[in-house]
Amino acid sequence: MRLRLPERPLAKRSIAVRLAVSALFWSGVILVGAGIVLVALYRDATERGFDSRLLVHATTLGSQVATGREALVAGDPLFELPFSGFYWQVGVPGASLRDLDTSRSLVGAMLPWLDGPQAALGTVRTGYVVGPDGRSLRAVERTLAAGEGARFTVLVAAPADEITGDVRRFALALAATFAALGLLLGLSTLLQIRFGLRPLARLRAAVVAIRRGDAETVSGDYPHDIAPLAGEINLLIGSNRDILERARTQVGNLAHALKTPLSVLVNEARAGGGALAEVVEAEAETMRRQIGYYLDRARAAAQVGTLGTVTPVAPVAASLMRAFAKIHAAKRLDLALEAPEEARFRGEKQDLEEMLGNLLDNAAKWAASRVVLRAEASGDAERPRLLLIVEDDGPGVPADRRAEMVERGKRLDETVPGSGLGLSIVADLAALYRGSLTLGESAMGGLKATLDLPGDVG
Amino acid sequence: MRVLVVEDDASLNRQIVAALTDAGYVVDKAFDGEEGQFLGETEPYDCVILDLGLPKTDGVSVLSAWRREGKVMPVLILTARDRWSEKVQAFDAGADDYVTKPFHVEELLARVRALVRRAAGHATSEIVCGRVTLDTRAGRVLVDDMPVKLTSHEYRLLAYMIHHKGRIVSRAELTEHLYDQDFDRDSNTIEVFVGRLRKKLGVDVIKTMRGLGYVVEEGA
Repeated sequence: MRLRLPERPLAKRSIAVRLAVSALFWSGVILVGAGIVLVALYRDATERGFDSRLLVHATTLGSQVATGREALVAGDPLFELPFSGFYWQVGVPGASLRDLDTSRSLVGAMLPWLDGPQAALGTVRTGYVVGPDGRSLRAVERTLAAGEGARFTVLVAAPADEITGDVRRFALALAATFAALGLLLGLSTLLQIRFGLRPLARLRAAVVAIRRGDAETVSGDYPHDIAPLAGEINLLIGSNRDILERARTQVGNLAHALKTPLSVLVNEARAGGGALAEVVEAEAETMRRQIGYYLDRARAAAQVGTLGTVTPVAPVAASLMRAFAKIHAAKRLDLALEAPEEARFRGEKQDLEEMLGNLLDNAAKWAASRVVLRAEASGDAERPRLLLIVEDDGPGVPADRRAEMVERGKRLDETVPGSGLGLSIVADLAALYRGSLTLGESAMGGLKATLDLPGDVG
Repeated sequence: MRVLVVEDDASLNRQIVAALTDAGYVVDKAFDGEEGQFLGETEPYDCVILDLGLPKTDGVSVLSAWRREGKVMPVLILTARDRWSEKVQAFDAGADDYVTKPFHVEELLARVRALVRRAAGHATSEIVCGRVTLDTRAGRVLVDDMPVKLTSHEYRLLAYMIHHKGRIVSRAELTEHLYDQDFDRDSNTIEVFVGRLRKKLGVDVIKTMRGLGYVVEEGA
């Protein structure tokens, strides 16, 4: 997936990018939120564990005061070590240092009491205080009764580093875990998008194939949410084709309908003679050319939807051979057909007839006595091709003029009747089938025309 | 030589009929497929000019019907569609040649002449019968290479006989092929024409076969 992000609004980007961007955004928000909550919970748990340890010391000290012991001792040697960070002090909040009992580790210094009013009897308060050396300390306060209504408070503190360090380590580990999780989520999102959008990609490919002319309709099964879309596309293509077909038929009908009156005009003018006749004949010729031109264009536009149709070559060739035997009966041509029964052309019958008809027509016009049509296989199993070769024993065409023959509207010899478009139409049709027409010299002496078309021989 | 023209365009029909008549053919005409098919089935023609795009019944169907019934007269197709797929259809139905619209009547005439000749088994436009030569292209008759002036009726009769030389042609057949469908058929006129022809040619090319008809002998 390309994630180039040029200056384009999100609405115009692909659905995949939209999905990816929104998925990444929301999973990011969720992961960060979850991280914050988890760290807070962990900190809370760690503090509670720490506090319970401090409370043990506070309780020990409190009971020592209650029993009237002179020298108070906490159970841990760290409380004796100067400025170890482990401190305790016992007294009434607000009293001066002289009236306080403090751990040795404080070395005469005093810790601030926790903020707020003194806690009720027997209750515990926790919080952070700043130690004599500026370190942050976690502190636990416990208020106890000392007879005659007097109450005193025990404060035990230890370095907060332990908590913050723990929490930091936890947060780092969590961040790393979540980062990995995010990465995996991102990857799986991308995979899901690709998987989920695959039908759309197929639909897109199908539409492209139609545009290129590789397919006639959108085929295949689609999930029910886009199946109607595929159906609509097919309907649209169908109606488009119908409209085109109708328009083309009408162009054809109009053009053909004009030819009869044109015949009448030309012949009437000839019969009349004179200057008017010349003008009429010249104009009629122009009209004939125009009609031919637009018919050709309509024809070329008609070359759609040729996929899937297969036309056996032999029957078409045989029909044409019979026709030419009649047309050129006076020449007593030897028309030979060497096409295997299995030879098939991948395309419309009409187009095959048009191509072969024009080639045979040309060959028969020029041939002295013999015309041969051969069908051969070519290409490989992947892309089978069909070669259709038409040869005659006529005078042939010099190599340097063969290219001219397949150009539009060229007619090499005006003495032989014909539209002059014959061979160029063949070349155009062959090109529409991604094939080609090549002209060469026949061993029989005349022209050798080779059509390379999609098809196979059995 | 009797020709049927089936073309729905009145002007074109008139032009073709006029040109054929001028060239010495006897011409019947039809303006739709049904009428044309009926005439083709009932009258003996030496050639038919058939438009493919006809009202009522299209040309290819008319042609197929004729061939199914065993009618073998040469048929020339007129078509506005110049794609081979359409022409092949017509040839498969039994057409012998085609002319694509728009065309010059001269070209049509040349094709009709060739078809009639071919149908009778002659390869060239000149048919030689001993000292008599029939030039179908120019529409004239030569005896010892000297042109002989004939009326159109006389030419038609001689041309039909020479096209079918070596075969006995009955008076009825001659009448059918030399006059259009509306003609009041009286076989005596045939005898009159044969007599005149013999006199003008000065050669006894047409022989009478008593009770059967006439014959132009192959090697005469």
